[in-house]
Amino acid sequence: MRDTDVLVIGAGPAGSVAALEAKRAAPALDVVLLERDPLVGTPVRCAEGVGDAGLREFADPIDAPWVARKIRRVIFLAPDDTEVKVAERDVGWILDRTRFDAFLAARAASDGVEVLVATEAAGMHQLADGRWEVRLRGAQGDETMRARIVIGADGVEAMVGRWAGLDTRVPARDMESCAQYVLRGIDVDPDAIYLQFGDGIAPGGYAWIFPRAPGIANVGLGLVALKADGRNAQEYLDAWIARRYPGGERAGYTVGGVITHTTIKRTYTDGVLVAGDAAHMINPLSGGGIVNAMKAGRLAGRAAAAAICAGDTSAQRLSAYHADWMRLLGDDHLKYYRIKQALEDLDDAFFNSLARTVNAIPSEKRTLGRIFAHALVKHPQLIPVAARFFI
Amino acid sequence: MLDGSPTGGYRSPMRRAQTPSEIAVVDLRVCDRCGLCLPLCPPEAIHLELADLVVDRGTCTGCRKCIAPCPVGALKMIAA
Repeated sequence: MRDTDVLVIGAGPAGSVAALEAKRAAPALDVVLLERDPLVGTPVRCAEGVGDAGLREFADPIDAPWVARKIRRVIFLAPDDTEVKVAERDVGWILDRTRFDAFLAARAASDGVEVLVATEAAGMHQLADGRWEVRLRGAQGDETMRARIVIGADGVEAMVGRWAGLDTRVPARDMESCAQYVLRGIDVDPDAIYLQFGDGIAPGGYAWIFPRAPGIANVGLGLVALKADGRNAQEYLDAWIARRYPGGERAGYTVGGVITHTTIKRTYTDGVLVAGDAAHMINPLSGGGIVNAMKAGRLAGRAAAAAICAGDTSAQRLSAYHADWMRLLGDDHLKYYRIKQALEDLDDAFFNSLARTVNAIPSEKRTLGRIFAHALVKHPQLIPVAARFFI
Repeated sequence: MLDGSPTGGYRSPMRRAQTPSEIAVVDLRVCDRCGLCLPLCPPEAIHLELADLVVDRGTCTGCRKCIAPCPVGALKMIAA
């Protein structure tokens, strides 16, 4: 039996930032960061794209060893392959998540967080004094650890939330099934990400090309199985690649789920906080979760440290974490979710026609605001979509 | 290798009303352990351990919500 103040479960971006922020906020506290896999950052289940501004809140990407590629352009592909370039500036980065996650965990460790790898949380229950007793299973056998606060950063599986009695379930319409290859020897703009929509390509989601280096890219897609024709994500991806990049050499493969829902109703209970994918803190339009996870981890780590220092780890106190998250991004996700729902009513013919409308705007004037205004005039079907954003 | 029995003592706290005719199992030769199916399961019958995906046979209601979303088609229905 071991004791700690804060136990963070899962050393992804949410967990490593939460552990670091808890330790920095209250260096006298013991903070333990738990990782199931033997190496933090492996396996990667991610397309690895991240926006510039969000990333810089947490780490400097210039010359960083955990960056694969700088992204300067976004190219949308309509279902009929019409290309639309919508941004010509420093939009973001493709990370090397294996190295990035290891960097975040190592930074936490250098600030005094104890990182335990190859150790899985197998269950937990609350003690009479309010602390949580967590069963751990690792290479050295089983042990238990008592913690004043447990932070669940265990990703899509979200077992910590489940054990704590939170509802982390996802409706099937809000789960995107994803598959991705690393393809070598493909001819794409190495400074651009490509996104393609289409019912025959990735129903309910989109396909992506995220370059890692010239000629090498993460090529994948996410779809909603309820809208699919019976094939799974891997089969849709194989068909898309066979059409677009038949000569690409497959150098890596991953699958996974992206939750395009909204933040769970309750991200806290007595002595427990959940953050990142585990709390469905994902942009439901883009499926982006990395920066969301780090921002939530920062809030969770600070809330945990402050609660322990105040001697009050009750649900009532920890509810401030949920309110802070909703103000920061959770409420925006609710808006994006409504847009997602409205876009589901539009078909491939609409997106093909929208692509031509946007291409009529000179590229140097193609800002998102101008695209939006132009599209509203030409495509009245978008008015209900826009209306949902502002209500 | 078809999995289906709890190995780590995991049982969902939820109980089903009726015994279904079919339940879900995981083909561990195909499963990539991505965990996508866990939050899709209404009675929380699916649990991921270090090397195994476990469907609690006593909890699965046979609703099939986990079957189509699996990116690699690792979940199948068998007679209960």
